[in-house]
Amino acid sequence: MTFSERMLKIDRRIIFAVIGVCTLLPLLYPVGLPIKISPEVRGVYDYMEALPERSVFLLSIDFDPASKPELHPQAIALLRHAFRKNFRVVAMTLWVSGTGMADQLLTQVAQEMGKEKGKDYVFLGWSPGGTAVIINMGQDLYQSFPSDYSGNPTKGQPVLDGVQSLKDVNYAISLAAGNPGVEAWYVFGKDKYKFELGGGCTGVIAPGLYPLLRSGQINGLIGGLRGAAEYESLIGKKGRAVAGMDAQSATHMAIIMLVIICNLFYFSQRRASKQQHQIG
Amino acid sequence: MIFLRRQVPLLITMITGLVFAAQYYIPHPASEQVLTSATKWLQIIGGFALVLGVTSLFHQHAAKIRRKEAGWGYSLVLYAGMLGTIAMGLWANGKESIDGAATAFGWIYNFMMVPLQGTMFAILAFFIASAAYRSFRARSREAAVLLIAAVIVMMGRVPLGEYLIPISGDLSQWILNVLNASVRRAILIGVSLGAIALSFKIIFGVERSYLGGGKE
Repeated sequence: MTFSERMLKIDRRIIFAVIGVCTLLPLLYPVGLPIKISPEVRGVYDYMEALPERSVFLLSIDFDPASKPELHPQAIALLRHAFRKNFRVVAMTLWVSGTGMADQLLTQVAQEMGKEKGKDYVFLGWSPGGTAVIINMGQDLYQSFPSDYSGNPTKGQPVLDGVQSLKDVNYAISLAAGNPGVEAWYVFGKDKYKFELGGGCTGVIAPGLYPLLRSGQINGLIGGLRGAAEYESLIGKKGRAVAGMDAQSATHMAIIMLVIICNLFYFSQRRASKQQHQIG
Repeated sequence: MIFLRRQVPLLITMITGLVFAAQYYIPHPASEQVLTSATKWLQIIGGFALVLGVTSLFHQHAAKIRRKEAGWGYSLVLYAGMLGTIAMGLWANGKESIDGAATAFGWIYNFMMVPLQGTMFAILAFFIASAAYRSFRARSREAAVLLIAAVIVMMGRVPLGEYLIPISGDLSQWILNVLNASVRRAILIGVSLGAIALSFKIIFGVERSYLGGGKE
């Protein structure tokens, strides 16, 4: 077996170790490289900035704990921004396994910003039906969620004053790790009930949402940890996403290096086998 | 019996399909009321579907345990996990916390489900790196193009990449916004046209596989 062949069949535990080191070291010794703001993230930020106080902001936390590292920082940054702008925050989830996490993160940010439940924010929780919930909310919000997650009746809560359906929402953002998520909110929500929609998603599904962004079906997109870090930079409150960007930089670079090395060995092996074939 | 098994479901499908396709274009309050009621039904059916799903899962794994099939131990773990969680959930009235204090159900969620799901997702990075090293090779011209695009996007999406090669950020944006978006849109249009065609086939009873393959 040639050196190239041996290198191409390298023990995968060595690769795991490289990735482990590239993730851990920057977390222990952060560098803090500057983060460039992309137009899609700025689209969300600028729209939120332009909205007046007490606007109704709907945040659909459509992910479960598996996507927490990427989408939790996005949710925290968006909620901080919304509360700072004094919006009325209506949060909910279309993913049953994300309900507890969504409640915790909303309560945590609301407490940090000194906001009052029922007056400044409400967590509607989860309701069965997937995309049907969106249509039902578009028809009558109180039919989909007669009570909030804490069991209090939604009708009569000051935070929902003047809100009858999705048509009364000023801005909605779905933070999605899959389906139902941003696309469902566009197809079953924005398209019919005409409210402005933004999106946030994991890095894996971000490329799939670019057609919606380019056609103006969503007015901005926060993609993955990078998007969260950009949003944290925009609101001037750096958190976990910015801290994680160094680790992501290092792992991306490690994977690029691994791909380049593997291709070098691949071509060297191919050339060697060609030469052998010619001699033979 | 054939009438109840075949004709009635086909008739219901055809009527509801046509009614709700037309409903979208009729902004009359009566039409909106029909949609409100139908979506409420959908939500109720969704709730029952959840019960049906859990029952089916239990049934499947019970059979595995009974027959002592390969990996039956995992089914036992699934049973213990599900029954334990359901019991704790009922005991805590579905609440993860009461007055700020975590319930047993909340404890299961916070200290079992959250870390387990997080771990599953986190190990992806290791497997992606390993898979990239083993199979991301420029074997053909097309593979080489894919490889170069991937490297550019990976560089452009992290601050270190933009710092080392400043143009990588703009190039990555261009790849995502122009090349990726246009190809995705083409795929989306194709899929949507296919979905419309399939919907027509279901509405008019040409496609009947959803009725199941029972004896007539």
